Amino acid sequence: MKEICGLIKKDMLNLSSYKISLLVMFVCVLAIGGAGEEMWKYIPIVMTTMTGMIALSTFSYDENAKSDEYVLSLPVNKKEMVIEKYILVISMALIGGIIGFIITPIFVNILNNIRADNIINVDYNSLLYTTLGGIFGISLILTIQIPSIYKWGAEKGRIQMFILFFIIILLALGIAYLVTHNLGININENAINAFFQKFGIAIVICLLIFMYYISYRISYKVFKNKSNI
Amino acid sequence: MQANIKVKNLNKKYDGFELKNISFEIPEGCIVGLIGENGAGKTTTIKSILNIINSEGEIQFFGKDIKQSEKEIKSKLGVVLDDSFLSEYLTPKKINSIMKNFYNTWNKKLFENYIKKFKLPENKMVKDFSSGMKMKLKIATAISHNPQILILDEPTSGLDPIVRNEILDIFRNFIAEDETRSILISTHITTDLEHISDYIMFIKNGKITLNLPTSEILENYGIVKCSENDFKNISKEDYEYYRKEKYQYEVLVNNKNTIKNKYGISTIDKASIEDIMLFYIKGEK
Repeated sequence: MKEICGLIKKDMLNLSSYKISLLVMFVCVLAIGGAGEEMWKYIPIVMTTMTGMIALSTFSYDENAKSDEYVLSLPVNKKEMVIEKYILVISMALIGGIIGFIITPIFVNILNNIRADNIINVDYNSLLYTTLGGIFGISLILTIQIPSIYKWGAEKGRIQMFILFFIIILLALGIAYLVTHNLGININENAINAFFQKFGIAIVICLLIFMYYISYRISYKVFKNKSNI
Repeated sequence: MQANIKVKNLNKKYDGFELKNISFEIPEGCIVGLIGENGAGKTTTIKSILNIINSEGEIQFFGKDIKQSEKEIKSKLGVVLDDSFLSEYLTPKKINSIMKNFYNTWNKKLFENYIKKFKLPENKMVKDFSSGMKMKLKIATAISHNPQILILDEPTSGLDPIVRNEILDIFRNFIAEDETRSILISTHITTDLEHISDYIMFIKNGKITLNLPTSEILENYGIVKCSENDFKNISKEDYEYYRKEKYQYEVLVNNKNTIKNKYGISTIDKASIEDIMLFYIKGEK
């Protein structure tokens, strides 16, 4: 565990050079919030996406310094290295979501005081779903991209990830088209909404755990069998 | 003398390259130099014995198998890899605070002392260091947890002669402080090895072709410079390699005195490790 903490510390200290990016992120959030009444909903999505992508950039730092080889000469094994990366990206995505959830009402209230003509009322239920949606979206990207990076490296992995992501979206759209058009099944949107209102959070959490677990297993297997690190 | 490292039948295959049945031992209290041209397999050997890359064969440290006792073994090793390190975006100060998580025996004070001794800026990022400064930082990081074995891949490359000398002194003191320690050092700066190594291993095309005590090599190996006719008189069993130069033959022999007496040769030049390496690479059998 101490070794995993060391790796997290290394990655966090690497990311401390991201001060400017964090500032840019804050400016983006300001711009989104200031853009209009409905835009506040996107703040948690922007936050989770940016923190998730920042966490992912640690792979590029490692690749540049070839630090995987060096870390493997320390009392650290491949399993701990993969676990550390998952702890880091999951924590960063969650932290992004939590910060997004907290700062949105604070930010909106400040805006309301500045622009009294454009008062925004935050719907907390909707904010919670947006935050969860943001975490789920970035997690989907991360769980596909991390094994790709272990397989092909940070640069090539990014291209492979986009291809994989594109295929998944095409498949999902294809299935949806088949179900609604060719099979003639009528989708009851109200029933689906009601179902998600009731079980949505539980389903998202279960899906997240499942996605990360499968992604971790694939990443570890790829990294363990890699003949040239 | 017990062996700190035992390697038996180490094999590793890449596309177009192969490590073939590498076997050697590194005894306690010894500095062993691994030499060979670029691409001969020095770094692959080091990465294989450290289990950084998957390989086949028996690899033991302190009598324990690396694959079974990896963490225990690695906590007693100090490693310098030529082309990789923690990160380019860290400072020595940050590295000091990270490394204590990896080693229970990490000595913050000792690391700080090395940083001062090497005149490295504490708060400057590694990416802004010169190659010599980077190497000094890697060495300071490798020895600040009092390891039992140092494994160094090209530790003196990119350093000026003064700093190289300082670093060689550190390696000498490392062994002198505790004679149960060992060092495996891969380098192409063979003059360094003449000063500090106890054994020399030469690797060529993924095979160890020479593994002898340094003193024995420097004492017994020599270069005979002779005409073509004189060369033809020397029996094949009496020399290792030869080179045909413009006006003469240069012949590497491994038993200077015997050759002198047998063929009545008056002078046989001393062979440096670099000379021997060149004969092994460029010479003919």
